[in-house]
Amino acid sequence: MTMPDIETWRSEARAWLHSVAGEFARDVRNGLTVEQDLALGRRYMRARFDAGFAGIAWPEEFGGRGFSPLHKLVFETEEMTFGMPSGYFGISLGMPVPILMRHGQDRAFVKERVLRALKGEEIWCQLFSEPSGGSDLAGLRTRAEVDGNGWRLNGQKLWTSWAQYCDYGVIVARTDPSVPKHKGLTYYWVDMRAPGVTVRPVRLAGGDSHVNEVFFDDVRLEDSQRMSPVGGGFGVAMTTLMIERYIATDSAGFGPPLERFVETALAARVNGRPAIEDGRVRSAIARNHAMRAGLDAITTRAMRMIAAGMEPGPEGSLNKLVSVRSRQKLSEQALDLLGPAGLAFDPHASARDDWAASWINAPTGRIAGGADEMLLNTIAERILGLPQDHRPDKGVPFNQIPA
Amino acid sequence: MSILYDEDQRAIAEAAQRVMAAHAAKDRLLALLEQTGAHDTACWQAACEQGWPAITVPASHGGLGLGLIELGLVAQAAGAVTAGAPFLTVGHGAAQALVAGDDRELADHWLPRLASGEAIATIALIAADGPLASMPGVRFADGALTGTAPAVTGALAAEAVVVWAHDGAGPVLAFAELAGVARHAMATFDATRLHADLAFAGTPARVLARGPAAQALARDLLARMAVITAHEQVGGAEALLQIGRDYALTRKAFGQPIGAFQSVKHRLAELYGLVEIARANAIHAAAREAQGDFVLAAADARIAATDAYDTAARDCVQIHGGIGVTWDSGLHLHMRRARTLAIEQGNLLFWEDLLVDHLVNAGEAA
Repeated sequence: MTMPDIETWRSEARAWLHSVAGEFARDVRNGLTVEQDLALGRRYMRARFDAGFAGIAWPEEFGGRGFSPLHKLVFETEEMTFGMPSGYFGISLGMPVPILMRHGQDRAFVKERVLRALKGEEIWCQLFSEPSGGSDLAGLRTRAEVDGNGWRLNGQKLWTSWAQYCDYGVIVARTDPSVPKHKGLTYYWVDMRAPGVTVRPVRLAGGDSHVNEVFFDDVRLEDSQRMSPVGGGFGVAMTTLMIERYIATDSAGFGPPLERFVETALAARVNGRPAIEDGRVRSAIARNHAMRAGLDAITTRAMRMIAAGMEPGPEGSLNKLVSVRSRQKLSEQALDLLGPAGLAFDPHASARDDWAASWINAPTGRIAGGADEMLLNTIAERILGLPQDHRPDKGVPFNQIPA
Repeated sequence: MSILYDEDQRAIAEAAQRVMAAHAAKDRLLALLEQTGAHDTACWQAACEQGWPAITVPASHGGLGLGLIELGLVAQAAGAVTAGAPFLTVGHGAAQALVAGDDRELADHWLPRLASGEAIATIALIAADGPLASMPGVRFADGALTGTAPAVTGALAAEAVVVWAHDGAGPVLAFAELAGVARHAMATFDATRLHADLAFAGTPARVLARGPAAQALARDLLARMAVITAHEQVGGAEALLQIGRDYALTRKAFGQPIGAFQSVKHRLAELYGLVEIARANAIHAAAREAQGDFVLAAADARIAATDAYDTAARDCVQIHGGIGVTWDSGLHLHMRRARTLAIEQGNLLFWEDLLVDHLVNAGEAA
């Protein structure tokens, strides 16, 4: 196996993405229902697999290409600019399926699942967060109890992305409430079509429903579905978060590009004067430009370090924290510039193109996948070496923690 | 593109940190604050021994022929210790003006002396109305300068100056020796910057560039000095982040280190973000030297670095509480330097406007 050099790979990726843009990209997707868009997405994933852009950094025995994480990162960075319908499969291929590859017991079953997931035929979700445990993952209450030679699962998960379209999921459940919270958890895969699994979409502030609550009522798990030692689930869940060390980032915080704000300002007037000459508007543009340029430079440097076989610095962790809240503020400012027209709202508009959609969905970005406050704690503790917060539940058996 | 430092560059950075740390005497810097017209001569002598004034001077003129990346690394080390001599940045501006200007004889005479540190030159691009003002207070006529250049950095020690002037028809970038020129020292909050108003009165001067060429050259020089200053600001901000972090770990209140309180942790984590964004922008801008987007990258670097250093000065003092506002703590050396660097080489208002004009013009051209 020989890997193409990065720039060759980048041009190949771009050329292929251009060649299928007319069939799958942003413009084609406008106005589709979620179901139609998902169906388009499945066709896109199949085309991507056939073209050799799937499983880029995965082993060839699992349908992958065996290239470097940088090759994958480069493809995803290019792909992001096209607005392809790959979002439904991002979590599936990013976290649950790689864990299945590592820890799944039945290797023939694993291989079939991985291939079907790569082709977009099956989707996996990650059942971690619960009403009582999001940032505090180890505080989860869903329980798995021994049931003959297997397990019986009861409880509730929350914020599970795309669960309503998923075939399988990975789940962390409490198997021993009499030990401290991190030590009593076990990791399984679960069939989302099994009896006792109920999925209810949760509607978010912007009106869409890509997250769900998932209920488990006496759901039967075979012991072969276990993917960690009993009581070792937290460790596997943490490796999940480490698999995707280098993911494609966006200094626009997955909102509109800054050029769009400049265009908005060029078209607007403030108290009868051109908005682009207003110092407040100019300052917002300049500050955002400097911030985004800095994040882009951090990303470029990280890619170069990966390419040189070095470990990128921890500053890559700033991207989500800094970019999404800036996008939130900039979206408010853009709506101000639009005047009364800023009141208009299209619930189906994309957060990348539309200021109102960007604004109303921004809080989700600041909370999902690590709230701002958690990210600040992580920077303070892991990078700066400051003390951990006071944790009254530390070392206390789970069933003795005051509710 | 953002570069990765190579081995030589890392060696320069390490040497600079070592030499600067050896000259980081807080007591001396505090004493210098109370004198007008004095700077840390030992520090500048060490800089000359290290060959730093020669870094960006072409090899043909006794320099090392290196670029902004290398000079930036040295500036970063100087910023970390609030070095008491301001000549690297303005010296680079003056030397590059000679390199790019039209007067070969002048360049041949001065560049080797500037590279060795035998002579100090500075540059005055900022008029009372701001950088590169269309009608600066200095007029060039019949081979001589008349009028005042305000608050020129390093002016109290320089032998020569590059001046942004006008000749009635348009801008002129002129070179003048300072012997005989009246220097009105300014009392400032950061005395070793050696600021003075230069009052020219028929001072003989030679033209480096005129008209649009002067405009383009002066803007490039200002961007270059902005990038060096941004490195200096990053060095200062980074030092303050470390000082604040160390204090938060050792100072205890309510039975625990104050760094265990989220109000303090998050303040430091936010500061980390500002420092890293500023650093990335500064490195990127240095790597864009002589490229089409250099001025834009310089503006990004300047804005991010000014924000980082000012915030670091503010927050680091705040984390220290009462001790942070004492004279002896020396934290005010950074406060003073942060504000001084924010104003020298064009303030935020200037760079924000320049950046937006650039974006708007690029949008209209597209």
